[in-house]
Amino acid sequence: MSFATLVPVRRMSVPLETERGTFAMRLVILTESFLFICLFASYFMLENNKSRWKIEELPKLNFAIPMLVLLIISSLVLHWGELQVKKQRYGIGRIALALTILIGLVFLTLQAFEYRAHWEHLTPYTDSYGSIFYTITTFHAAHLIAGLLILAYVLVLPRYAPALESPYRPFHVAAMYWHFVDVVWIFVVAILYVGPHF
Amino acid sequence: MSAGTTAVQQRLKEIWETPKTVYGWFSTVDHKEIGHRYLATAFIFLIIGGVEALIMRIQLAQSDQSWLTPEAYNQLFTMHGMTMIFWYASPILSGFANYLIPLMIGARDMAFPRLNAFSYWTFVLSGILLYVSAFLGQSPHGGWFAYAPYTSLRYSPGYGMDFYALALIFLTISTTVGAINFIVSIFRLRAPGMAISRMPLFLYSTLTISFAILMSLPALTVDCVFLLLDRRWGTHFFDSRLGGEPLLWQQLFWFFGHPWVYVVFLPATGMASMIIPVFSRRPIVGYPYVAISTVLTGVVGFGVWLHHMFAVGMSDMAMSFFSAGSMTISIFSAVQVFCWIATIWKGRPVATAAMHFAMGFLALLVIGGLNGIFTAIIPVDWQVHDTYFVVAHLHYVLIGANVFPVFAAFHYWLPKMTGRMLDERLGKWSFWVMFVGFNLAFFPMHLAGLGGMPRRIYTYPAGLGLDGLNMTATIGAFIFGIGILLSIINFFKSLRTGQIAGKNPWNADSLEWETDSPPAPYATVHIPTVASRHPLWDDHDEEYDPNNERIFDEGRETLSTTWLDAEPQSIMKMPEDTISPLLVALALMLLFLALVFQWMWVALAGTVGTLFAGYYWLWPRQEEELA
Repeated sequence: MSFATLVPVRRMSVPLETERGTFAMRLVILTESFLFICLFASYFMLENNKSRWKIEELPKLNFAIPMLVLLIISSLVLHWGELQVKKQRYGIGRIALALTILIGLVFLTLQAFEYRAHWEHLTPYTDSYGSIFYTITTFHAAHLIAGLLILAYVLVLPRYAPALESPYRPFHVAAMYWHFVDVVWIFVVAILYVGPHF
Repeated sequence: MSAGTTAVQQRLKEIWETPKTVYGWFSTVDHKEIGHRYLATAFIFLIIGGVEALIMRIQLAQSDQSWLTPEAYNQLFTMHGMTMIFWYASPILSGFANYLIPLMIGARDMAFPRLNAFSYWTFVLSGILLYVSAFLGQSPHGGWFAYAPYTSLRYSPGYGMDFYALALIFLTISTTVGAINFIVSIFRLRAPGMAISRMPLFLYSTLTISFAILMSLPALTVDCVFLLLDRRWGTHFFDSRLGGEPLLWQQLFWFFGHPWVYVVFLPATGMASMIIPVFSRRPIVGYPYVAISTVLTGVVGFGVWLHHMFAVGMSDMAMSFFSAGSMTISIFSAVQVFCWIATIWKGRPVATAAMHFAMGFLALLVIGGLNGIFTAIIPVDWQVHDTYFVVAHLHYVLIGANVFPVFAAFHYWLPKMTGRMLDERLGKWSFWVMFVGFNLAFFPMHLAGLGGMPRRIYTYPAGLGLDGLNMTATIGAFIFGIGILLSIINFFKSLRTGQIAGKNPWNADSLEWETDSPPAPYATVHIPTVASRHPLWDDHDEEYDPNNERIFDEGRETLSTTWLDAEPQSIMKMPEDTISPLLVALALMLLFLALVFQWMWVALAGTVGTLFAGYYWLWPRQEEELA
């Protein structure tokens, strides 16, 4: 005896929910922002002891600024890809995603070079300045790697077509996180790289 | 009840029930099951922390005792504080929130059921990680706030403080995902009609603390990371010789720590705001004022953290500001207290066991709040800093405003969870024994503190006039323990012989009492609608649904509404049971355990394991695609 014969069911006519993931990602970004706020606050607090820092030379901008430009480009590419997905051009969306990941990898490579140049006169073991400098940049790099892993997951997802009405919008949610990591780098550059020059 | 309805119930049950197998036990995502486990686990931590406290009280009962070494005593009070504050006080409230919130808002589950399971598994595994240290004999020993530089490797060798930092970072993962889950659930899953102005007050407090958690916990994480780096990886955050700043630890810790006080306090006030009106037989007086002061407590709670640091030597300006902030908070608490008193005054109070505990909470909160004002006044604070006066204050606040409301909540909601009533008489006995024991234990500590007894000492010499006070405190602590034991006996007795509770034994007003006791896996057949602040006290039929529009029996689904007015918006698909949250939590456990001992290859394995378990969790499933 099938159940349908017993009770007439007329489901409420509302669409399927698709905002949950976005909402949660906003909250993730809120809590991650406070993580970086705490790191920057620690930097400012340690700066009170500047007299005991053994800074030989100020952080150079020759890597940080190109890295910043790269990340901004990556965000633009990713956003363009998302617009393509919305227009149901899924292939192009996937290519934009792959391109973003590539730029992210270039960023990490540049950061490795930057660390090597820096390491000669400053290590995390030198003083509290070295400790906080490397901790903040490494925290950012770790978040960037997490972002890359999330993007990589979206890249290999079987399909983007909304025909299945997935409750999550993986492309959009991953992109939100990536943009957030990019914005953090702007603050890192402003506070750690540009700030000491003034 | 027609045959049709039972068929629907049968079908909903098949959709939502977790099979009672071993695999089902480890893979369930049912919020009720997870809520049970949260409550049971947190209660076990309460007992462990309580036994640690009693051991300390035996040591302190008389002067010049030495059966505990100073190191053992240090480890005991540290583990007692950490267990109580991190693994009992907050998780027990998460347990109630997990169990009750979906029922209170008329949803079938939380917004992220798998994340919910993950939050539980990481909570219990982080607690196990902390207690691994006890088996090594190297527990943390720096107090629950672990001030640097005392906790640096130089002064605290061994693995104790590494366990401290890593267990806490592990726990923050659990608490953070839990907070995200509560926020999304409360904003998106309320029953149609439950506008934000009609939400039960418990939801206001949970919402407030969830935001407080998201904004304050990162400070603890950063702090613990700094500590670990300093201890094991050669950095100099807290090392003043190389430009480090010992006060950095305190600043970050209390930026987290004070909001955390409200995290363990506000949901308890929310529960009191649910319980007191029901037993006063009238709606709460000043609902909007209680709601607003709850939120404001959370907001202003971010601006008072320096009052834990009045003795470190700050500018007068900073101290005055934070002293004023601390006293501002008491206004919001006072608003709530007066609303509760007015509710009782204007109502016709019924003296149930739950009401006894709620009244005890009120009394102790007022005492704890008043001696809190003492410590907010800077000169007095300098006098009583690091003495037993502070110990007395924090226990009046934490036990008075967490343990007592939690016991009120147990007496109030356990009939819903188990389907059986607790013995009222034994409950009242338990209350009076606990109340007398508590005051006997902690009131003398005020006097001991004013008399100059410092906190965190493993013994004290005779002839200082402290012997009598300490003996009284020890006797009180044991009486308090007996009171708790009476409640535990009451609980197990009720499971066997308790009266059958029925749907709504207290004639309460909120939606969870609309379900059976214990609730069916799907809660109510029809998603309820709400027309007032007190759904079960008005004439509106919550489950009125002539066209069966709100049954949703085509799979795990629930109704999502707009966040302000709660108008039906969309249908939420819910995930099936899965073991992946447990797998991710286990991989993380491996990672954190490896980090304690710096086994970097194992840590890498843990990271990779977390990653693949995470991918397995998120990968689109066949059934989801077909749905």
